[in-house]
Amino acid sequence: MSGPDSDPRGELALAVADLQVSYGQKRAVDGVSLEIEDGEIFGLLGPNGAGKTTTLSAIEGLLRPDAGTIEVQGVDARANPLRARAMVGVQLQSTGFQAALTILEIVKLYAGLYGLARSRSELLEALDGVGLADEASRRFAQLSGGQQKRLSLLIATIHDPVLVLLDEPTAGLDPQARRQLWNRIGRIRQRGRSILLTTHSMEEAQAVCDRVAILDHGRILAVDTPAGLIEKHRDDPRVVGVAHGEVTLDDVFIGLTGQDYRD
Amino acid sequence: MTDAASGSPTIGAPAPTLRTQLRALLEADLLVQLRNLRAVALSTILPLVLLFGTFAGRRAQILGDPRFKVASCMMLGMATIAILGYSMGVARDRDAGVFQRLRVTPTPGWAIMASRLAIQVLAILVMAAVVLVAATAFESVTLDAGGYVLTLLAVVFAAAMFLSIGQALVGLIRSTDTLNAVSRLAYIPLFALGLLGHTDILGTNLETIARWSPGGVVSTMLGGAMSPTTWNGETWTAVLVALAYAVVFAGAGIRWFRWTAS
Repeated sequence: MSGPDSDPRGELALAVADLQVSYGQKRAVDGVSLEIEDGEIFGLLGPNGAGKTTTLSAIEGLLRPDAGTIEVQGVDARANPLRARAMVGVQLQSTGFQAALTILEIVKLYAGLYGLARSRSELLEALDGVGLADEASRRFAQLSGGQQKRLSLLIATIHDPVLVLLDEPTAGLDPQARRQLWNRIGRIRQRGRSILLTTHSMEEAQAVCDRVAILDHGRILAVDTPAGLIEKHRDDPRVVGVAHGEVTLDDVFIGLTGQDYRD
Repeated sequence: MTDAASGSPTIGAPAPTLRTQLRALLEADLLVQLRNLRAVALSTILPLVLLFGTFAGRRAQILGDPRFKVASCMMLGMATIAILGYSMGVARDRDAGVFQRLRVTPTPGWAIMASRLAIQVLAILVMAAVVLVAATAFESVTLDAGGYVLTLLAVVFAAAMFLSIGQALVGLIRSTDTLNAVSRLAYIPLFALGLLGHTDILGTNLETIARWSPGGVVSTMLGGAMSPTTWNGETWTAVLVALAYAVVFAGAGIRWFRWTAS
């Protein structure tokens, strides 16, 4: 288990190799490999159904992969799922909490699940950190979308994990709330933590990610910094064909994944 | 938070222990149970209504031994908590993604379910205590000290069987709407067969079926526990049959249970 006795130095925050996940006959993730360094924000970009959430779910331990390895700070997440999960914070795409519990009680529950005994004042302080101290006695369903996302992010990071997995963290948020969440993500990185996030937003990928991977049909098509991807594919005919003026990350994405509708 | 010597990040949280995790889960599940006032009221008031109803007028003669009437009342409360309360609560939380969120924490899946089940057993014990107190106060059904202890032990055992049926329902049925309909359908015969397990008003064949139905064996078990001197071979057989039901239903409920609705 993570703690003072562990020596995470020198290990990657996350190392995924040749990950394969199927739903029946359909291969949803087909040989995905990626490595995330300490303090790095890594973005997974892809159209709907590309395999982003499935990849994240496999890393989170919610899905059993057909093949491949997943290591969190050197810990084999398939062999030691609970030990790996103790080092990971997760914000799911759609989050549900017990409807009868107040926000304060929800935070207390999750702190306890990560082994943290927090007093009421400490919990309120944590809520204050995400601007939710005044909502402590309300229910999750009574919060706005932005407040729900902030609470989810607080719970995902309450145990100060080495790796935070965020599945479309800013989906459905207004520009102000999105910008605030980017700032919070930036502060997590400043503490030396790593983040793997999925997003449909090229603006988000460019604003917060150190590196991004473009995923489609369960395979990684390209990995680089946002600027590096643009540079690398600037003259790619598929990209040039969809660009309107100067090539953007959006053009690279559309060029590599196509313009067809996805489910 | 950094390691001063190396500048490398250290990991913030201490290792979670199962004890702290279970404590957090039990506290949260207890709060949820206490705030579900409709369920609390239903599971306590219904058995009391039945208690006073079965002891009133001519029905007092028809349904026989007062101990079996009290046992039937407790059985109604157990069925309400386990079939209507537990299984629907799990289904609703499954739909809402509550389990998915809990499962990405370093908490074993069995601990998440064990906490819920423990709170349901506690709710059933409280209901049984209320029924026993009411039966003593208003209907003069008194037990000796051993009888009370044995009855509460039998209630725990019966609760396990009813909760295993609830688990089987929520394990086998993924849709909450379908589960709602099926659990209401299952609830009535489960209880009615138990009630008829010690009366031959519908004939001996039906009595035999009723006697060895889940409700019937619980009724026999509770009746024996409330009067330890009458505990006999049939009571032991009822215990074994209840155990078999619990194993079969729990096995099915665990084997086919899915943490997500999709």
